Parts: sequence; structure tokens; C-alpha cells
Amino acid sequence: MFRPLFLIASLAASAAMADVAEVVGDHILPRHQAFAQAAEDLADAAEESCDPRELAPAFQSAYDGWMGIQHIRVGPVEEEGRGLAISFWPDPKAMGERAQRDLLQGDASRLQPDSFAQQSVAARGLTGLERLLYPTQPWPSDTCPLIRATASDLARLADELRNGWADGFGPLLLSAGETGNTRFLSQAEARQLLFTQVVTGLEYIKDQRLGRPLGSFDRPRPERAEAIASGRSLRNVALSLQAIREMVAALSGDATRTLAELDRAIELAEALADPVLAGTATPQGRLKVEILQQAVDAARQEALAELGPALGVTTGFNAMDGD
Amino acid sequence: MATRRSFLAGLAALTLPMPSWADVGAPACLAAGKQGERFVLHGLSAAGQSLFAIDLPGRGHAAAAHPQRPLAVAFARRPGTFALVLDCLDGSVRHRLSPSEGRQFNGHGVFSADGRTLFTSEVVAEGSAGRIGIWDTDGFRRIGEWASGGIGPHDLKRRDDGSLIVANGGIATDPTDRSKLNIDSMRPNLTHLTADGHIAQLAELPPELSRNSIRHLALGRDGRVAFAMQWEGDPAEVVPLLGLWQPGQAPVLCPPRPAEAMRMRGYAGSIAMAANGLIAITSPRGGVVMIHDADGAHLATHARADICGAAPDGDGFLLTDGSGVMWSGDQTGLRLLSKDGPAWDNHLVALA
Repeated sequence: MFRPLFLIASLAASAAMADVAEVVGDHILPRHQAFAQAAEDLADAAEESCDPRELAPAFQSAYDGWMGIQHIRVGPVEEEGRGLAISFWPDPKAMGERAQRDLLQGDASRLQPDSFAQQSVAARGLTGLERLLYPTQPWPSDTCPLIRATASDLARLADELRNGWADGFGPLLLSAGETGNTRFLSQAEARQLLFTQVVTGLEYIKDQRLGRPLGSFDRPRPERAEAIASGRSLRNVALSLQAIREMVAALSGDATRTLAELDRAIELAEALADPVLAGTATPQGRLKVEILQQAVDAARQEALAELGPALGVTTGFNAMDGD
Repeated sequence: MATRRSFLAGLAALTLPMPSWADVGAPACLAAGKQGERFVLHGLSAAGQSLFAIDLPGRGHAAAAHPQRPLAVAFARRPGTFALVLDCLDGSVRHRLSPSEGRQFNGHGVFSADGRTLFTSEVVAEGSAGRIGIWDTDGFRRIGEWASGGIGPHDLKRRDDGSLIVANGGIATDPTDRSKLNIDSMRPNLTHLTADGHIAQLAELPPELSRNSIRHLALGRDGRVAFAMQWEGDPAEVVPLLGLWQPGQAPVLCPPRPAEAMRMRGYAGSIAMAANGLIAITSPRGGVVMIHDADGAHLATHARADICGAAPDGDGFLLTDGSGVMWSGDQTGLRLLSKDGPAWDNHLVALA
């Protein structure tokens, strides 16, 4: 009786480590590689041409690449403000646009790579490029130099994320619990970190990507949706859900209820014919977005109920219940 | 019929000093936590060792340590219907404090320097008007209360002159379930109460920061107040979560660069000031501790999941997280002190 039990326990332990390795190897690293490649292609395309129509496909691909990793909010992305420099949204005070106007009118040397990397995070990245490629109002001067500087800066950031994971944070996560690793003192801590990305990623979709345009019934705020100008508000939701689904599947093959809830949310997102979530302004359209939002929340709750216990972790003791 | 032995024992008892913190190992700080399904209060050394552990009936929030005797007052989480006076020598509950009719404890408390009085942050259950409860520690009888100067007081600290600094968080909560009732109209403030309970100074934040709840405090040797905030407004807005206050002057806010500030996720859970003036604020939601210089300028951010408890330790800090780990830290980094402890709760309470 004793022996088989012991065997099961040790198998479970090794399977758990394989989960972290799978997430890093099959999800995080390839997705970072894809984003870095797409951002590099965009920078190359911008050198060829500044014409927004010609650049749009490369911009859309790079944004797709970002949606493959945006739910991962730890590691190199949280250092040096990289995450915000790639996407500064929401931006309720229009800090990005103001900073870009200033860059367009001021000293052109600020567009040189070293100097540009020091400019406001709000002015840069995909959100900055979107305003230049899909302008909703005229800019005060030729935007071409700023487009090129922003695209090249974005490629640098994406490259730093990829290398940061491949050479630094990935190995750190995989050596969780080993002597000398003071960031992750056990394998459970590595699993907890990845699990937390699933939960907060779904929260972000629910509260920000869907919650901001929904506003309240009395005051819907369709203008607050993400990436309206480039027509990506709903696409971002769908792609991010797909990426989170891939991460959950790599974390635990047994989280069938969580995967089913995610599939349902993805299906709803793909079936919704409301690319910029403008329907949030009408009672009918709003209902559909709310149903999607509820499905995202159901997936989040299922992750907490099923996936967390399966991994032997919770979200933080203090993080979820402050005072 | 006194025997020689009982005579000597009686003599020893007469000359025995009152028990002190030294009798329980001279802890550097107290921390509540959860170990399995048990809630506990530990006394911890500056090296991260547990010196004693006492069972609590439920999840604790903060504790107040008697300045001399090994007594700790553990406050229940909000809405607090009780506080326990614990004898850290034997773990017994010496007194069970209930707030007056219609009042609720609101998380924190502090003893007077001579240990004869305990002050507790409280709210009137209906409306959350702030009160400071006053207790005589000889029997822990309630002897009165003062107005705290605002709504929803949370942390309070005692200055060397016996006056109090109160963080009136500004949030009115439902008396049964903690739900927040007045986010649109909240007006947090810092109040300086004289030793006899009069409002000497009261400072508010600029109107655009009225949703920045002032919740936790750390005092410097020079009398300066460092305060930590929790943002109840739009999470997309980057707001300062640390401020400095010299009563009589306007509070000074300490915003880090936006890219750093966002790592806190709008939430500072604890604050501590080291002997050299360094200030730490923690964010369990962002999984970071930020270290600032004495003027509030950001020096470093260190990542650690669910880090929250913070107490001064010489020129650095002691820090605890929800994974049962205790760290020492300063602007250069975090160093592991001990692990496998309970899931440490929000606060580390330094003994004076």
C-alpha cells in the first residue's frame, strides 16, 4: 500500500515541474519569438515606407504578436517600463498624444534610438504607432520620422523581452527551488506565478478590455474601448483569450472545465460581430458584450476553482484581500 | 506556617520584575499569519526566527505591542467586532475587547509610551465617522473616545510627545460586509491629534486625488510622517502612493516615474521608515517593494510575489510575504531570512 502511494506522489512532483517547463518552452518562449519577429518585420517595413496603408499589415501582425504575450506581466516586461512602452492603454488623460505632439514639434534628435528610448512610455509602442498610422486628427508635421523611430524602438523592446525570457527569467523560473535561486524558493512558487498570470490576464480582459467600454448601463463608454482606430478592440479580446487558453493547457492537461469555459468565451468573442465594441452604446449590443464578459469571468472563476487546486497554489494571500 | 522554601519563593516573587519582552526572546516585530487552517500571531526576531506563536480565533489584521510588557493586542479584520489582549508569555487571552455600542474596530491600535493607555482606530458603524477609542490598560477598560478627524480611520501612530497621527482613509463602509459606499465623495485626510485629543492639524490631498485613500503611516525620528495610499479611482491613472507630511505644512506627494509607479497597481499595503530615513512601501498586488530615500525619491523596486509586511530594521527593512518567507531588504536588494513560515498577513509590527 505504501509503495504505490509514494510513487504517485513523486510522479505528481515531476509532472508539476514539467508543467512549468512546458509553459516556458511551448508557450512563453515561442510567443515571445513570434512577437519579436513581427516587431522586427514592422521596423523593416517602416524603413521601406511610411505610408500607413502599406504599413498597416505589418502593424496588425505586430499587435497580434503582442496579444500572444500581453497576459504575461512578470519578468522583463515589468522592468524599465517595457510593458507600458509597448502598450500605454488605457490612457484617459491622452498623455500619449500630447507627448507625441511635443516630439513632432521639438528637437528631432530626440528621435535618435538612444534618446527615443528615454522618451515618455505614453508616446511610444503600439499605441503610439496606432495614432500615427490611423490618425483621427491631423498631426502638426510629417509623421514619418516618428513612425520609424517608434517602430524601431518597439523592435528593440520586443527583442529585449525575448532575450530576457530566454537568457534570464525563463532559466530563473525553471530553476525554482534550487540553491541560489532567491526569487523562486520552490517549484510551487513558479507554478503560482504562472497561475497568477492566467487569473490576472482574464481579469484584465473582463475589467479593462470589456469593462471600460461597457461603463455602466446609464453611461456606456464605447469610446473607451482599446485600439478602436485600428479596429482591433474585439480581436484583442479573442487573441488574448486564445493565448491564455494555450497557457492553461500547457500548465495542466487536466483542467478540462477551465479549458471548456475558455473555449466558450473564445467562441462568443469570435461570433460577436462588433469589432470595436461600439454596440456597448445600445441595449442590444451591450447585452452581447456583457454575455462575453460573463463568460470571461466564468473562465476566471473556474481557473480559481479547478486549476489552482490542481497546481496546489492560490493567488496571493495578501494580493487578493487587501486592507 | 511558612517553610524556608515558600518564604524564599515569596521573596523571589516580590523582587521579580514585571515580565518584559525580553522574557519572550525580545522579538523585533509581531506578525499575524495563516498556517494551514490555523490563524496565528508570531513574535519574530530580526534574523527571521519565530520566538513564539499564539493561536488566534480568526484572521488578524494588525497588532499593537505594549511598549514594555509582553502583551499584544490583535485586531480582527474589518469590520472589527473584537480585539484580543494576548499574553505572549503563555499565549493566553488576557482580555477580549469589544468596541462600544455602534462602534467597530478599524484595524489598528497603538499604546501610549508608558503603556497605560491603548488607542484604537474605530468607526461609528453607521456612516463610518472616525473615532479613537481610549482604553485604560489596567484591566483594559474603555475610558472614552475622541473624534478621529475624518471618515474611516485606519492606521494611527504615536509621536514622542504623546500626540497621535491618524490616517483617515475617507472610505465609508457597509457595517456588515466592508463594501465601499462613498467612493465618489470620499475625502481622506491626515489628522494630528494632541495628547488630549484635540485636532491640531488636518491635511487633505488635492481634489483630483480625493480617491486616494490614506491608510498606513510610518513616523521618522524627526517627527516626519510618511503615508501610504490606496487608489480607488480609475486604475489607468498613475497616481502617487507615497507622501510625506510635516504637520503644519502641506503634504508632499512623491510620484515615481509612471513606468515604475504602475508596478504598484495602485495599491500600497504597508509602509515603513528605516533609521536613516529610507522609506519602503509594498504592493502585494504588484508583487513589489519600492525603496525611497528620505525625501521620497524612488531608489529601487524589488519583485517578490505577495510581499506586504514591512517594518524598519536599522538602516533597512524586514519584509514578509504570503508564501511564508521573511526578507531583509534595502535599496540594494532582498535577502532571504527564513522560509516555511505561515502565510504572513498584511503587516509586520515593529516593537519600539
